[in-house]
Amino acid sequence: MYYYIMEPPSSRAVRQTYQRLRDLLTSLGIAGEMMAASPARTPEELAMMGLERGYSTIVAVGGDAFVNFIAQTIIGQAVLGIIPIGEAQQSAELIGTNNMKTAAEFLKFRRLSTFNTVTADPDSLIFLDAVIEPPKLAKISFVIDGKLRGYAYFNKLTVTRNLEIKIESEHLVEPKKILGLFSTGGTVVRSLSQFHGRVVRLTSEPDLAILIDGRPVVRTPLQLRLNPNSLKVITKRGSIL
Amino acid sequence: METNGPGTTVGVNVALSGTLKDQNDISVFGMVEGEVVSEKSVTIGQTAQVKGPVKGELVTIAGVVRGAITASEKLELLETGKVFGSISTKNLVIHSGGIFVGKSDMPTDEESTEQPEPESEIEPGEPVDEETLIPDEE
Repeated sequence: MYYYIMEPPSSRAVRQTYQRLRDLLTSLGIAGEMMAASPARTPEELAMMGLERGYSTIVAVGGDAFVNFIAQTIIGQAVLGIIPIGEAQQSAELIGTNNMKTAAEFLKFRRLSTFNTVTADPDSLIFLDAVIEPPKLAKISFVIDGKLRGYAYFNKLTVTRNLEIKIESEHLVEPKKILGLFSTGGTVVRSLSQFHGRVVRLTSEPDLAILIDGRPVVRTPLQLRLNPNSLKVITKRGSIL
Repeated sequence: METNGPGTTVGVNVALSGTLKDQNDISVFGMVEGEVVSEKSVTIGQTAQVKGPVKGELVTIAGVVRGAITASEKLELLETGKVFGSISTKNLVIHSGGIFVGKSDMPTDEESTEQPEPESEIEPGEPVDEETLIPDEE
């Protein structure tokens, strides 16, 4: 039997969606215990409760940030099921559907895929892509596997669950003025970098938040560590990814 | 850094120091001070400046490299490329405008398969008997 944790509904429509989901799960014969997160009962508390009750599969019902948060609590202790609702594009791509009914059917078939994750010190988890987007060009310094040091100026930095670091920047280079007076436009310099490693240390100026689906997960400075094949998730097709 | 992920790209706005090692392709458009090593291809872009050895199967240079380059298959120096250091490769292409200052070594397959010549029984400086120079009688 599954243990479902639902994200606090953001609207009446979502509340109605949850009711339809309950009916759907019952009709599929996989209606387990259903808990709704709230300010009084955090997702973390509910996930811990599910683990204490001996559930081996915990299903996160909600958006990407919520799914990542449940994954952080249950990693290494239970299988993660996902029913993407709301802003859940990454979760939907990961399991292979953004349709609630199809996702529920995947739960019934229970095909498992194993995924890498990244631990962000001290105890945050990056399972879905995490992003830093400073309001203006910022500087990031990094050390990869203790062997490679560097820095970059960036507008966007993405950390994936495979500990790939993608650094993007775009800035305008002012042209030299003719006779100190006239200039003719500038040149936009775009830069895209990609690194990967097992242990990465990031320091930024100023300190910046890393967000998943718009919600802060952790702040710089921080150390990221790859956890290979660390999370089992129910997906369309079981495999090691 | 030694990994087997999707490859490494060092953008224009990036400066690195240390060993950049990847089992897949490496592309450099920024500054690297240290070793650049790939088991596949290494591309040094037009905006790149590398100070250190570069090793790869296929190495393409359009920027500036100050250091030894080893390409196990092919090394191509493009018209904007500048190399200050030694190069070692089986297949070298230098485009018009490319600058290369240094030593070049081109190991060939013949060298590796060629049998070493038998050592002479005569030590250098040793007087040679007349008999030694007489061809064998048929």
